[in-house]
Amino acid sequence: MQSPDEIIHQPVRLKIMAALNTLEAGRWLEFVVLRSIVDTTDGNLGAHLSTLETAGYVKIAKDFTGKKPRTRVALSTRGREAFGQYVATLHAILAPQDLDPADPNP
Amino acid sequence: MSPSAEEAARALREIAAVRARAAGFQDYSAESSQLVLWGVGYALGFGFTGLFPSLILPIWLAVVVCALSIGTVIACRTNREIPGIAWRYLTLIGAILIFCILLHAIMWPISAEQGAMIGPLFVAALYVIRGVHLRPRYLALGVLLTAASLSGFYLFHFVFWWWMAVTFGGSLIAAGLWLRQQ
Repeated sequence: MQSPDEIIHQPVRLKIMAALNTLEAGRWLEFVVLRSIVDTTDGNLGAHLSTLETAGYVKIAKDFTGKKPRTRVALSTRGREAFGQYVATLHAILAPQDLDPADPNP
Repeated sequence: MSPSAEEAARALREIAAVRARAAGFQDYSAESSQLVLWGVGYALGFGFTGLFPSLILPIWLAVVVCALSIGTVIACRTNREIPGIAWRYLTLIGAILIFCILLHAIMWPISAEQGAMIGPLFVAALYVIRGVHLRPRYLALGVLLTAASLSGFYLFHFVFWWWMAVTFGGSLIAAGLWLRQQ
């Protein structure tokens, strides 16, 4: 049986990847918006983003809007592929259940 | 170690939930600029109508043309990925305008204040419907707009135009800013 990507298969990182995957390629999400979607603390989100960045799954950009610092996050091409593979693996794990020969009404 | 089928199903449900939540945030973000724009439009329209009641038609014509032009540009900028967004936007706003014009024609003659209630109440109803079906903040906005419009018509008729400029236009602007606070 296939096993899902251990880096993504963690509740907070899964939410981060799922949220970023809703964006078009090349579009960024602000840290504060991502924090609201994932519903976690700054520190927790930052720590998991570091893990994903180290794995090459996300890109993090820091700049300023006026005098205010801003952090933005986007999914890398590698991250998008990894997430697609992760979802496919989850479906593959579920697939044998649908083919249960004991079920008279498949 | 591979996760169980239950765990995999839970992860897929989590992904679907986050996707819906992210879509909500993106929707609120795209809507906020439109709310601020039309809030300013309504505030100016009602305000100038209060100042120059005999010029109600040219005032609202100018407000609608300006807001529609700016709104189309904003819609194109905030929804680049949606094909034909400009036409969709123009069709949506056009449908609201045609609805208002038809109701005016059907119920004519009506007072300027009665006519001025059609658009706001229709917009309020649309937000209530969107709120029930999609996003809870729209429901709150729809209820607020309805309350602002009705109280202006029934309780503050003597300052109707100013009331509508401040409460209806102001509510749209405040809601637009609120949707940005995510």
